Amino acid sequence: MNLSGPPRWAEFLLERLLGARDRETVAGDLREEYVESIMPRSGRLWADVWYLRHCLSFARRCALEGGPMGMLLIFSSLVTLICGCWLALMELLLRHEGFASRAAVALLIAAICVATLLARMLHLGARHERWFWPAALAFIWFGCSSFLRNARSAHFEGFVFVISLVLLLQGFLMIVTMGRMNNRGRLTIGAGAPAARSR
Amino acid sequence: MADLLGTFEQAVMLAILRLEDGAYGRAVLHQVQESLARSVAAGAVYTTLDRLEQRGLINSRLAKGTAIRGGRARRYYMVAAVGNRALADAQKTLAKMWQGVKVPMAVKS
Repeated sequence: MNLSGPPRWAEFLLERLLGARDRETVAGDLREEYVESIMPRSGRLWADVWYLRHCLSFARRCALEGGPMGMLLIFSSLVTLICGCWLALMELLLRHEGFASRAAVALLIAAICVATLLARMLHLGARHERWFWPAALAFIWFGCSSFLRNARSAHFEGFVFVISLVLLLQGFLMIVTMGRMNNRGRLTIGAGAPAARSR
Repeated sequence: MADLLGTFEQAVMLAILRLEDGAYGRAVLHQVQESLARSVAAGAVYTTLDRLEQRGLINSRLAKGTAIRGGRARRYYMVAAVGNRALADAQKTLAKMWQGVKVPMAVKS
């Protein structure tokens, strides 16, 4: 715990939600407000709540930064995450033959979705992009194989059809959007900001 | 004529004008909250500042930070000439819209 300022984890979260250009200035502004105004007036607990609330107000901006493709990736990741958790839960409850491996695969898919969401939202992509490609290719493979298996099956299942399409979509979107996560400009004290920026 | 400004964009730009040389993020946030008389999320203000800067309506410069900020830099904002014109246009448009309209300003109970 940072005794004079906001909690370190909250500052870390804020810095991750912000691009490189705003990381220093915005975090500094909020820290200044926290130390000078909010904490003396409301106490540490409420000041922490205040800080977290303002941190999270940057999440929407962060989600919108990827444009429609980025938003679609976030949406598909959420759908796949819910489906993965649901499938794992069902496998563990029903305990059909070979349930453990299927539950493990579903949980792995859910974990990749969590990692994708974190990487997309917290600007971790540029440094941790090595896992995108195998994960994206695995999603495409899973999507294709389950789609084909379902199409050939005597009992067509709508749920599997939807999941397979979402997996395919997510795999393609991961390749398209995560591969070129934004590397935004760094700060230069005293310099004017360029009029147009590549955000 | 410049693109029309939204209400929130106008509030942010007017806050910068009021603050003159002291218009950095935290001060702008305070000023906007004061002028709109409600709590405003920091994300909304900084997103608007970014958008206005991208449109060339405001400019910014960086200044060294203080110890209380952990040495982090401050970004000061200024309204550009295009921004001044856009504000004037917005004011004119609003005045034109209200011309000849009489609304009871105070409701007696």
